[in-house]
Amino acid sequence: MSHPNTLQEAAALAGEIEQRLNQVLIGQQQVVREVLIALIAGGHVLIEGVPGLGKTLLVRSLGKVLELDFNRIQFTPDLMPTDVTGHAMYDQKTEQFRIRRGPAFTQLLLADEINRAPAKTQAALLEVMQERQITIEGKAFSLNEPYMVLATQNPLDQEGTYPLPEAELDRFLFKVMIDYPDHGDETRLVNMVLDGTIRSSLDVESLTPATDGAGVMAIRSLSDSVLIDPEVLDYALRIVRTTRDFSGLSHGASPRASIALARAGRVQALVEGRDFVTPDDIQQVARPVLRHRIQLSADAEIEGQTPETVLGRLLDQVEAPRQ
Amino acid sequence: MELEKASARLAPRSPWQAVDMGTQMFRRWAWPTVRIWLAFTLLPFALLLGLASYQESWWPLVLFWWLKPAWERPLLAWYSHALFAEELSLSQLFKRWKQYALPGLIAQLTWRRLSPSRSFNTAIWQLEGAQGDQVGQRHQVLHRAPSTRAGMLTLVMFHLEQFMGYGLLALVYTLVPWQFNLEMSDWFFEQSVLQTAIASSCLYLVLCITEPLYVACGFALYLNKRTWLEGWDLQLGLTRIGKRRKPAGVALVLLLGLLALPAVEPAQAGNSNHEDLHVEQQQVIELLASDDYMPFETRTSREWKDRDQDAQDSSWWQKLWEWFFDDLEDQMDSAPNKPFQIPDNLIWAVFWALFAGIVLWLLLKVSSQLGFSGTRRKAGHAIPTHVAGLDIRHHSLPDDIANAVDSALQQQDIRTAMSLLLRVSLATLLREYPVPLAAGSTEQHCLRTLQREHGNAAGIEVLKPIVNAWVRTAWAHRPVGEDEVRGLLNQWQALRFVEVAHG
Repeated sequence: MSHPNTLQEAAALAGEIEQRLNQVLIGQQQVVREVLIALIAGGHVLIEGVPGLGKTLLVRSLGKVLELDFNRIQFTPDLMPTDVTGHAMYDQKTEQFRIRRGPAFTQLLLADEINRAPAKTQAALLEVMQERQITIEGKAFSLNEPYMVLATQNPLDQEGTYPLPEAELDRFLFKVMIDYPDHGDETRLVNMVLDGTIRSSLDVESLTPATDGAGVMAIRSLSDSVLIDPEVLDYALRIVRTTRDFSGLSHGASPRASIALARAGRVQALVEGRDFVTPDDIQQVARPVLRHRIQLSADAEIEGQTPETVLGRLLDQVEAPRQ
Repeated sequence: MELEKASARLAPRSPWQAVDMGTQMFRRWAWPTVRIWLAFTLLPFALLLGLASYQESWWPLVLFWWLKPAWERPLLAWYSHALFAEELSLSQLFKRWKQYALPGLIAQLTWRRLSPSRSFNTAIWQLEGAQGDQVGQRHQVLHRAPSTRAGMLTLVMFHLEQFMGYGLLALVYTLVPWQFNLEMSDWFFEQSVLQTAIASSCLYLVLCITEPLYVACGFALYLNKRTWLEGWDLQLGLTRIGKRRKPAGVALVLLLGLLALPAVEPAQAGNSNHEDLHVEQQQVIELLASDDYMPFETRTSREWKDRDQDAQDSSWWQKLWEWFFDDLEDQMDSAPNKPFQIPDNLIWAVFWALFAGIVLWLLLKVSSQLGFSGTRRKAGHAIPTHVAGLDIRHHSLPDDIANAVDSALQQQDIRTAMSLLLRVSLATLLREYPVPLAAGSTEQHCLRTLQREHGNAAGIEVLKPIVNAWVRTAWAHRPVGEDEVRGLLNQWQALRFVEVAHG
């Protein structure tokens, strides 16, 4: 199994992973790129999109290509926190309490329709996401790295849902919007299913691993050495700070967003095969980093603006850095 | 017209009181008029609705709406007889249809269709039988100030129709079981045949109420105007006195007295004694022709009409002050116990200012939504002055780029040399290929935009290595080699030379 030692090798390996994922997930190059960046940067992803666009397929493929454990939890209104993290149960034979580990003990956790569960259950994920550990009956269990939560939510059918609290939203590195593939990609997808190149079900057996968890950790480690110029870092900070006082926004992004933007910018540069970050890298990752961390003002919502349009305006207005 | 048979008291009223009388008429005769409406319109509506559903088109229903003046004619015919104690049967209405429905109908269905005074004007054609020039003269007489408020009535009725229609529609959508999968929100975007039929039927049901009411109110306004102009109330009063004081000679004298009243205007020719009128007309003509009556004078200076000298001397704010607060003094006199009395004129001024402000705000809002505001994008994109923080204005660039780059290279200042090369290439390319760029546009974004909008033109192809070299120099802190800079400069100059040679 290949483990990169240099930035060039890391970039090549990231490209290989991306290419294999794109073989399975047709027409979602941007989604694949953003999920890969989040994984390398050690973040979690909130995926928003209508059902049937391959969210589960993406996570399964990721698990297969990276040889990572994968679990899926379907969030429902009656899901309890212990159903996610696990619990201690009394074993009558040994007359002792035994820890029963929940599905969160994995490496890739797909939290499907996370907003269907009440706040208490959603909060159970907070510790998992932030501390990378799970505490059961006072005993903390560390999780294996790399660890990533991919939560999904459906933009439609919002009745009976519990919107994610801001504290939890802030813990997602990216919010990725998954949309329908364009006409050409959808045609290619249908043709591939019809001629048997791929199966219509969640078939990831044909995928071969490109690396393993250690490989991912190696890429993550190498991404820390990507150079970020002070002007570029300042540009990232200016973008985040502008969200706090920008027309159309009632609530801006936290300092955690600044860290996320810089970190994601570095990985973006690495995936592009560069060992330095450009302002363009920051722009590329600004939308997924910020779109769930800002809140539109009432006026902007009435006018029909969306976080995308406001962020587009904001990125246009924040002056690019100069050297 | 036998006024004494009228079942309503004919008295001069304000327009809104007249509308109230129309409402009372509708309340009294609600069922007969709704029945007439249904008898004349139900079948055509059903046919047109069927056609609309078949063709999945709105046009048949628009046609029904357009023919509203025709549907209103039987209602007016019925009201005009019922008020004078003659209730026409449905068969009579069908038989007489040609007599009352055709006069002026073509005008009402074409160029006068959107007239806001339709409810009022219909009576001129239908009840008076006016034709040709008479119609215009009658319009002038009957629409003379004070306003009849017929337009306002139409506006109010239009809103009433809309509110009732949407209300009924919302009620229907609420009551329809969910299995029918009817979504109110879909109604605004894409309607199924069923939704079109439901919406149209709701509107038709509302019209069953509003149309008889609208016709009654319009008819009441018409009666009121004629009462004002022709003194029907006086005529009725004198007739009643005459009946009490027989013999008939007394009544005749009083009737002649009525005709001589200056305020009473003969709104219809042929109703009065021609000989007496002739004598009175002669007297009036002689009075008008005499030198004593409003003598002519010649003035050479321009001045406002009907304004006395005192008013001209006072400044505009004094007039405004008087206009606002003159009434206040009167009101204070009449109501001394209300120390915080606000003048009516001030309230009206504030109201109209607010109204004008809201209209202006709405116009600006709509124009900005439609892209008609002052910030409308020009046909061509403006050339930016800065790209990625680099000044690309012509005057900021040296005249001889090659020399300037050379001199920077001799001083080992690769960054300055690359910066110059990038600035001049961007300045030249953006003049030739204008693209929309914002303050936040980076060098790579600029390159991508140029490639997207103008393909891989030769200049853009040369820009690509220049941008890459610049990005490496600027953000990776790894300046490119001197030779590479010279190579890029040569490429750029060769391209410019070729372009200049080709003219």
